[in-house]
Amino acid sequence: MKIRRRILAQRRKDAKRCRVSKSFPLRLCAFAREVFLLVFCVALLCAACSRFHNAPATSEGERYVVISPIYNEIIWALGAEDKVAGIDLSTTYPPEVKNVQTVGYHRALSAESILSLHPTAIIHDNNIGPPQVVQQLQQLNMPMKTFTAKNDSFDGTKALIREMGAFFHKEARAEDLCNTLDTQRAASLENVKHYTDHPRVAVIHFGRASNVYLVVGKGGGGDGGGVSQMIELAGGQMAVENERMQRMESPEIIAKANPDVILITDYGYDRLGGATDQIKALPGVATSNAARDNHIYRIEENVLNYFGPRSGENISKVAAIIHQK
Amino acid sequence: MLLANNISFRVGNKSLLSEISVTFAPGKLHLIVGPNGAGKSTLIKVLARLLRPETGSVEYEGVDVAQVSEAELAKRRAVLSQAVDVAFPLSVRELVMMGRYPHFGGRPGPADEQIVDEVMAHFDVTEFSSRDYQTLSGGERQRVNFARVLTQLWRDGSSAACRYLFLDEPLTFLDIRHQIDFLKKIGTFAAASDVVTVGVVHDLNLAARFADHIVLLHEARVVAHGTPTEVLTSERIQDVFGVTPTFVESDSGMHLVFGVG
Amino acid sequence: MTKPHRSRHVLLSALTVVTLLVLAASIRFGAIDFSISEIGRALASLLPGRPEPNLDQRILLELRFPRAVLCLLVGASLGVGGTLMQALFRNPIVEPGLVGTSSGAAFGSAMFFVLGGVLHIGTSLWSLPIAACIGGVISSYLVFLLARSRKDGRASIVMLLLTGLAVNALFMSAIGFLSYIARDPQARSITFWSLGTLSGASWKAVEIVTISTVVGTAIALRYAKQLNALMIGEEEATYLGVNVNRLKWIILSVNVVIVAVATAFTGVISFVGLVVPHILRMLGGADNRYLIAGSALTGAILLTLADLIARLSVRPAELPIGIVTSAVGVPVFIFLLRRRQYIF
Repeated sequence: MKIRRRILAQRRKDAKRCRVSKSFPLRLCAFAREVFLLVFCVALLCAACSRFHNAPATSEGERYVVISPIYNEIIWALGAEDKVAGIDLSTTYPPEVKNVQTVGYHRALSAESILSLHPTAIIHDNNIGPPQVVQQLQQLNMPMKTFTAKNDSFDGTKALIREMGAFFHKEARAEDLCNTLDTQRAASLENVKHYTDHPRVAVIHFGRASNVYLVVGKGGGGDGGGVSQMIELAGGQMAVENERMQRMESPEIIAKANPDVILITDYGYDRLGGATDQIKALPGVATSNAARDNHIYRIEENVLNYFGPRSGENISKVAAIIHQK
Repeated sequence: MLLANNISFRVGNKSLLSEISVTFAPGKLHLIVGPNGAGKSTLIKVLARLLRPETGSVEYEGVDVAQVSEAELAKRRAVLSQAVDVAFPLSVRELVMMGRYPHFGGRPGPADEQIVDEVMAHFDVTEFSSRDYQTLSGGERQRVNFARVLTQLWRDGSSAACRYLFLDEPLTFLDIRHQIDFLKKIGTFAAASDVVTVGVVHDLNLAARFADHIVLLHEARVVAHGTPTEVLTSERIQDVFGVTPTFVESDSGMHLVFGVG
Repeated sequence: MTKPHRSRHVLLSALTVVTLLVLAASIRFGAIDFSISEIGRALASLLPGRPEPNLDQRILLELRFPRAVLCLLVGASLGVGGTLMQALFRNPIVEPGLVGTSSGAAFGSAMFFVLGGVLHIGTSLWSLPIAACIGGVISSYLVFLLARSRKDGRASIVMLLLTGLAVNALFMSAIGFLSYIARDPQARSITFWSLGTLSGASWKAVEIVTISTVVGTAIALRYAKQLNALMIGEEEATYLGVNVNRLKWIILSVNVVIVAVATAFTGVISFVGLVVPHILRMLGGADNRYLIAGSALTGAILLTLADLIARLSVRPAELPIGIVTSAVGVPVFIFLLRRRQYIF
């Protein structure tokens, strides 16, 4: 009887232990996921913290909430920034934008946040969400404006600058910007001719929303189109052939491409603290020529990732980086 | 009257019960004994209708128990298991009140509260009334569960139907004093003329002392049944359990002593 | 020794009062603060013959009010879902999302984002909640079906836990795959939606969630006594006259529906279902009648407070509400683990 009792007690203990180990992995996974997301958002929050408590711009007449980094860059370049009451979190250039109120991440907006700034219209580049919020804004008869020209090339950029110049009544300034863009571009291309090498470049970008490192593609899909053109204008060649942005999960992407130079955009670079061993720990990087020769560089996203008013001189900047020895 | 008619029960290829037919009369304490794996627990569960037999039937007062609804059955049939595990803080009184669940719809009535009070007093657990069940010792817990089971079977005066109490190895976690105590209380309850009490125990001595009727199971069959003296003979015990008993007479009755050698 | 239970009626009344207070705060404060008189005027503008409401008043009536109410309802749904799950699984560390409901709903919405454009599935804004609901229902029933024993159709709770684990993993990797093939803008929608937000609230959403929450809670209350019986074990509950298999299916169905419908409109919000029942048990014991009613109220309160924090801490921008609930829920979860008061 004693033995039986001991056996039963042991069985009970085993069952208890079993139940712990069965439910623990799930709880730990869910727990880890939550902690990771939490840390990511806190980091995001801290990075943008200073930008949330600014006093709204005081000007009568037109007040716009502008949700697009390129639109905002152009508006500041045109000198029309007094009309901007609010911007989105991804707008980072020029540095003065930090003085303007932010309404949040462009894909996770809230109607109230935007409307609390009492704008006369919302200007966006068709990249806003969630869809329910867009519908709410439409329901409340808030005017929404998108410009038809797109900054997918130099010509597109100039068209956009002119269109925005007309909208903000800064036509003269717009023309100046276009001319500057042309001259700087010509100068840069001249400059680039002096470099003799054509390094194979891979560009790594940290996708904040999807929370992963991405390798930027050659083709025009997604946000990658501007990058490949800039690299080629700067005298390099895209090492990775994929059409659009790819997640860096497989080391093969970089390993197969074996780039001579790796560029990492600012947020992703800073996230690793610029530590070389951490960077080399990204899939496929460690075995590449770039890692061997230490040709891994940081680059500002807004210099490389889209075409804009500064792209003319940016070609030189990019060239200077990738042709470094 | 509880009737088991040619019950068979298998799990996969293994036969746990094989052509078992026994009658359990009211007013007596029936105890089922047998070695491990004989099918005792399975038999209790089939009698209590937790499990359905493959062949044969169980009859409560002549009615096939498979025809009776779960809710109806719960008013007259209760089972005391060897241990009850509670995952949340539950007060003793709440636990005992669960015995009345088959008897009221939404909320317990004053009659239910009174019954619970009485039964708890009878089992000396009133002092634990608002204590967390998880903090009780094994013996205390069994008293509480016994109280719960009895409140479930409490005669509420309406029907004259027979009541059925099943005990599935209830002595397992009790010390010797509590085991004896328990069996005495069960004996008192079982003596009522409208109660059929069937239990499973391991200790042959206790079975011999307290049972009115013993059913000896071995390898899924009934080897013998009858009074303790009739069933627990030396040859049978040797056959079934593989140990040799010595019978010792004393003032308190017949005892079995088992040599180790 | 359990603390003597405070009178449950007093507690529930207190919770009701707090719910109303929190609702009022939720309506008053936000990216724009509304004074009592402004609220009065906005409501008055609804009367016939009055001038049309201006933009601020429309914000109050069409955005703020439905959001505040939806917050209560979703909080209640998640709270009740948590209680039902813990009662059913007899395990206090269980969440509605455990049976795959949340990951299924998230998968449904991911499918909507990625494939909806391609297949031109209705551009009506109901497509998203319906897709999420279908996802939640599919994943949950997949768990039930896989967890049933072939012999007699019973689904033991251990099997449900294990299968829930597997199905969760399956759907999360399916979401990962969808994010992979999605163009980046779509992938962004998936991730941020999966952190939870109340910003999409509308009166239509309130209608639907009201029905699911009220009906679900009413059904749950009706089975409260049987859930109590389940606390002492499946066998014991059967002996007390409970049809355990039927109870499991009904309660799981109620849970799936109320949580999936809520998740469809707000995204995945975690920890509310875990934390709320614990708080109530500590205050007033484990009787399910009290717990279910109390969880509805407490869930409503907690989620509304979380939404207030989400809206006020970085105004005029908003935090995703899942961040706030996790920030509170994770320490509580750790605390509960360490306390080990319960049998696992």
